[in-house]
Amino acid sequence: MKRIIGRLMQMLGTLIGVSFLTFCLTWLAPGDPVSMLLETADTVVSAELVEQTRHDLGLDQPFLVQYVNWAGGVLHGDMGMSYSAKKPVVDKLLEGFAGTLLLAVVTIIFVLIISLPLGIWSAVKRNKLPDYIVRGLSFIGVSMPSFWIGLLLLYFFGLKLRLFPIAQSEVTAAGIVLPALTLAIYMSSKYMRQVRTVILEELNHDYVVGARARGLSETTILWKHVLPNAILPLITLLGMSIGWLLGGVAVIEMVFSWPGIGNMAVRAISMRDYPLIEGFVLWIAIVYMVINLLVDMSYSWLDPRLKKEAR
Amino acid sequence: MNFFRTKKIWKAISVGLCTAMAAVVIAGCGGSAGSDAVNKGVLKVGVTNFADTLEPTENFFGWVVMRYGLGECLAKFDEKMNVQPWLAEEWKVSDDKLTWTFKIRDGVKFSNGNPLTAEAVKASIERAFAKNSRAATFFKYTSIKAEGQNLIITTDKPTPNMAGFLADPLFIIVDTTAESSRNFSKEGPICTGPYMVESFVKEKSVMKKNPNYWGGEVPFDTVEIPSIDDPNTRAMALQSGDVDMAVNIAAGDMDSFRGNSSFTIDEISSLRTVLARLNQKGILKDPKVRAALICGCDRETYNKVLLKGTFLPGKAPVPPSMDYGFDQLKDPNAYNPERAAKLLDEAGWKDTNGDGIRDKDGQPLKLDFVVYNSRAELPLYAEAVQADLKKLGFDINIKSVDYNLVDQMGIKGEYDLLISNITTANTGDPEIYLTWYWKSNFNGENPQNGSGYSNPALDAKFNALSVEFDKQKRRQLIIEIQQMIMDDGAALFLGYPQTNIIFNNALSGVKMFPSDYYWITSLIKPASK
Repeated sequence: MKRIIGRLMQMLGTLIGVSFLTFCLTWLAPGDPVSMLLETADTVVSAELVEQTRHDLGLDQPFLVQYVNWAGGVLHGDMGMSYSAKKPVVDKLLEGFAGTLLLAVVTIIFVLIISLPLGIWSAVKRNKLPDYIVRGLSFIGVSMPSFWIGLLLLYFFGLKLRLFPIAQSEVTAAGIVLPALTLAIYMSSKYMRQVRTVILEELNHDYVVGARARGLSETTILWKHVLPNAILPLITLLGMSIGWLLGGVAVIEMVFSWPGIGNMAVRAISMRDYPLIEGFVLWIAIVYMVINLLVDMSYSWLDPRLKKEAR
Repeated sequence: MNFFRTKKIWKAISVGLCTAMAAVVIAGCGGSAGSDAVNKGVLKVGVTNFADTLEPTENFFGWVVMRYGLGECLAKFDEKMNVQPWLAEEWKVSDDKLTWTFKIRDGVKFSNGNPLTAEAVKASIERAFAKNSRAATFFKYTSIKAEGQNLIITTDKPTPNMAGFLADPLFIIVDTTAESSRNFSKEGPICTGPYMVESFVKEKSVMKKNPNYWGGEVPFDTVEIPSIDDPNTRAMALQSGDVDMAVNIAAGDMDSFRGNSSFTIDEISSLRTVLARLNQKGILKDPKVRAALICGCDRETYNKVLLKGTFLPGKAPVPPSMDYGFDQLKDPNAYNPERAAKLLDEAGWKDTNGDGIRDKDGQPLKLDFVVYNSRAELPLYAEAVQADLKKLGFDINIKSVDYNLVDQMGIKGEYDLLISNITTANTGDPEIYLTWYWKSNFNGENPQNGSGYSNPALDAKFNALSVEFDKQKRRQLIIEIQQMIMDDGAALFLGYPQTNIIFNNALSGVKMFPSDYYWITSLIKPASK
């Protein structure tokens, strides 16, 4: 219980720090949300209008007052209005949330389906043809920019084979396959190598030799002994990847017209939409903290030894 | 190592992979051909949408309300940006030029069936003024009255371009009485256009036929408008039939449609001008150096070759899409490198130390060219100018800055050359644009002109223009103003972007206007009908 409260306090501190830092950085960065807002169309605008808009948005107040106002709002559950969207920030975040979450989940499933078997295969066939093939594939996958993979998939599966819709612009089952596959190809390329390394490491442990000496079948050794031990480091990696995915993947969202929060964040930054940037940063911070917490908890569940040490 | 001799693992792996492939194939069942949908009464349009809501008075969201065939104004712009009647049948101004009378078209209904009266128009315009301070930058009214079908607006000072101002999407006519039972931001406003909102999120809108449309039968039951921000994807969606028409296909993708008999391209020059403002406080104070700089730039090649014809070569301040005498304007500084070299010699700039850069009194001919990169063509122009002028002995230093900084740098005059890609006449009249950039800035009264450029004769023309009501005389004045700006070498006009709509030949009636407000209209219908 104490640990949990301590952890929560830590999280609160982090959130305040992160939000203040972001506030400082956006404030220090050159540029002005008012002129971005009024010149979306590159039209000429008068100085009075600029001043009026600045006042309406509360941007004529001192920096600290702006921060305190904002933070006070957040504590009351009000994250403010987005300048560019003219909507509550919460609404904007929620709009992109479903798409981002779904894309993250499907991508992770694809990644596991692709990288686990191939990684294991490449480990057990070390320095043989399958290993070279897998390593070659992962090299290609890592080297190709993900937007390029995305465009290729769109070209072949969307335009040539007409298997998938090209322009979805909404969350649908058919529309998620290509963006998730694009991300999965990119991420699996890294994961295959990670899986391979971890499995190889485990295979070198004494207990494997012992198991073989006791005459256990190779299948049993791999599934019952090696894999459970290999899972721990993979969970950490997976946690970070989920965090990354939940932050939105702007490039992929752009290429596939997928409604998610990545594109929204990029636009918020270029428009200097301070409340929306702050909302996004808070969201990311919370996601990472929650995931770290879950990963830590899963450790002690997967490996009871850790629980003992903690005591 | 003999794990993989065991068949079980092999099986597990192949089952895993097969499941993945099957999932991919099963899930993929979309992609209907565009023309089928067209014949079933569905129009699909690929666009990029910047609006988060359809509230016409927020930011520039009104543009989208109009583009989507939802909202209409009292007036609209034709192919040459002349103002034409729309929801107003006609208008006239009183002799003292302060009172405008707009006759509202009879028999028009809002999509909810309410009649469009002068009273309703009055309420809508007042609403725009109350909700957005940008409204008052067009004109300020002292009174606004409804008498029968006449709307009478009295302004505080003469407003020659009143009808053009009211054609701005900020003044889209909405049914204010519907607001009590409807959230315009979330559900879309009630307007008079051929289509009305069924559902709207930023990424995708669905419109349906307005049964009460005043302009005749509406051709489609449903219009689906996905926002496809990536230009490559937008082009592919059009090719695959996911959409039937798409707005602004990028230069690199145009070729795949040019030779294709299934598609038609409608391409025109927009209202934008790409120009480099020239600061006259430094080396460019000398008119000969300015003239040399301008005629040293081969703008024909930049636009035709470098930008693959997606831009038209620059010459004058106002683009050729508007009827302000583009063809009759004479460019005194047309491309002529020999003349440019001669002018520089005459001005006393010579390469005395043999480093390839001209100098005068020990000062090199070095200029800062401030550029921002958020529009792809701008750095290309800058590099082309740099290369051309290098041959003449200029040392052009390109300074790339964030778009956010450009405005202030322009006002403070922190540049020798400053690039802009600017909309010259949203309201059909370039007066504001021309005045801001080139009218004298005495005591900071015209802050946008930070270049130090000042010509009393030109100022006199600007003053005359601000009170001139006669359309022909205004046109003449604007032509004269442009010629003076060009003769003074006040700026380097690089090019005019073209905009396009590409559509599947299953459609007819698709048209691109110079004004960026009219994409989906009631004229777009299936070609077979």
